[in-house]
Amino acid sequence: MAAPEVHHLFHNPIADHSFSADRNTLAIARDTTVELYGKVGNAFKLKDELKGHDKTVTSIDIAPNSGRIVSCSQDRNALVWEPTPQGYKPTLVLLRINRAATFVRWSPSETKFAVGSGDRLIAVCYFEEENDWWVSKHLKKPIRSTVTTLAWHPNSVLLAAGSTDAHARVLSSFIKGVDARPEPTAWGERLPFNTVCGEYMNNSAGWIHSVAFSPSGDALAFAAHDSSITVVYPSAPEQPPRAVISINTQLLPFMSLLWNGEAEIIAAGHDCEAFRFNGGVDGWQLSGAIEAKGRPGLGGSQREESALNMFRQMDLKGKVKDDTQLKTTHQNTITMIRPYETAGDSVRKFSSSGVDGRVVIWTV
Amino acid sequence: MSIIREHTQATLSDAWRTINIDALQEDSSVNFDTSTLRTPLPDVSEAEVRQLTSQVRQLLRGGDAEGALRGCLESPVYATEGTPEGAREAALQTVVEVLQSIKASDMTPMLQRIYASPGGSECLDVLMKYLYKGMAATSSSGGSAPRTPTRMTPQQTGFSQIGPRPGASSESTGAAMSVLLSWHEKVVEVAGLGCIGRVMTDWRRV
Repeated sequence: MAAPEVHHLFHNPIADHSFSADRNTLAIARDTTVELYGKVGNAFKLKDELKGHDKTVTSIDIAPNSGRIVSCSQDRNALVWEPTPQGYKPTLVLLRINRAATFVRWSPSETKFAVGSGDRLIAVCYFEEENDWWVSKHLKKPIRSTVTTLAWHPNSVLLAAGSTDAHARVLSSFIKGVDARPEPTAWGERLPFNTVCGEYMNNSAGWIHSVAFSPSGDALAFAAHDSSITVVYPSAPEQPPRAVISINTQLLPFMSLLWNGEAEIIAAGHDCEAFRFNGGVDGWQLSGAIEAKGRPGLGGSQREESALNMFRQMDLKGKVKDDTQLKTTHQNTITMIRPYETAGDSVRKFSSSGVDGRVVIWTV
Repeated sequence: MSIIREHTQATLSDAWRTINIDALQEDSSVNFDTSTLRTPLPDVSEAEVRQLTSQVRQLLRGGDAEGALRGCLESPVYATEGTPEGAREAALQTVVEVLQSIKASDMTPMLQRIYASPGGSECLDVLMKYLYKGMAATSSSGGSAPRTPTRMTPQQTGFSQIGPRPGASSESTGAAMSVLLSWHEKVVEVAGLGCIGRVMTDWRRV
């Protein structure tokens, strides 16, 4: 396995990161700005700063085809940044929420995006040609608490949402005139706006940190604060699911997860490294960490200690070994993982960002 | 340079911060009982707990400590509207009794066997809940009337929070605590930190 590609950008938390389709631009949510990094050789250099939010930017997403960037913030606004020859031009989106916006993602069709918020709703936003602005429709029921995470189904109509009321839900965000009528799936046949296709929680009912549809869209995985991941296989519309598999782990909670094909899930979070789960409709299990342990010569953390240096450390600081660094590449919680290089349904490389200000590209 | 509306003098005043806007909204979480989102738990009567306790004691007398422990953990008594306080108390006493009867050298192998069996992870989560409840009970008031965190209300007098000094508590309390602490260490070794996280997140309290 190739060594991970580490980019230590700064010493601040990264709320979210997103690569452009050509992987040459990296957008980072840092405090109240969106920073754009351009690839120069093997490193990423700061290229542009998008200022427009008053408070912490919570989430960003680059649409792979149009190159539009959408960002949302605790100031209750979302901005769409349109690439122009003069730089990025922001457009304010009418979200109509009175709590922080927490999470934003473009739909695969790129004609819509969804914004989760602390206002117990999801704003599904689309462009209205006649008025020349982005408007939103609210998905309200039956969400009872802050929406922490969202994920789109490949058909761009179904939307999975995780919330602090411990439920992962599958909802329809069908908008007339924007979406084509979707093919019927196991989640539902007729899907008018705000159809609730499924509501799931696990036994211990922790906050949901991350949701993801499998590549086919026929399974849903979510990670909760009880250190578990749960995979739901729906059977047919209005029917109880075929299987709901919950895997409790010995680890700390996962903050983000992604599917690699239909039989593998990669999840990362408070343990500062990514883990692999394997399975299917009959059961899932944790198969191990992505990161190889005890690699020699990793970023100076495992540098050779001379005897002199060791005794000097013991004398000066009263400690036998340097225990200020974690053995993992990330030195703090990983908050987001995203596919970086894919081949069909499988993920060859994925990127992770975290509280330690690093963006790391991993080979699966 | 913000494209978002500039602050005016009126918005800079912070009087609006004291308004609880959640109370004004009909569908806010303040006006909504979130427990209705969860599947209800069955109520357990004191008689049922007594029956369980006698079964567990029988297993203990027969030398099957693992079976006794499993029996306790597979039918936990959760806090519900209809479950009397006494039933939960009795269930805790039974678990502590079982834990005290198991030798220190048997703890880890037994926990590993339970963890590896189907549903074992759940069992150890329940055990962890009992350990924490046991610690709360022994430290707050010598085991007589433990306060449950769900029912805790702020008290009028400032002195009620002060319990008996640790040194002043009886010897048996100290012994019970040391048993619980050594079990806690062993459970974390087997079930990991995830187990503690689950106990803290779980809304089903023993």
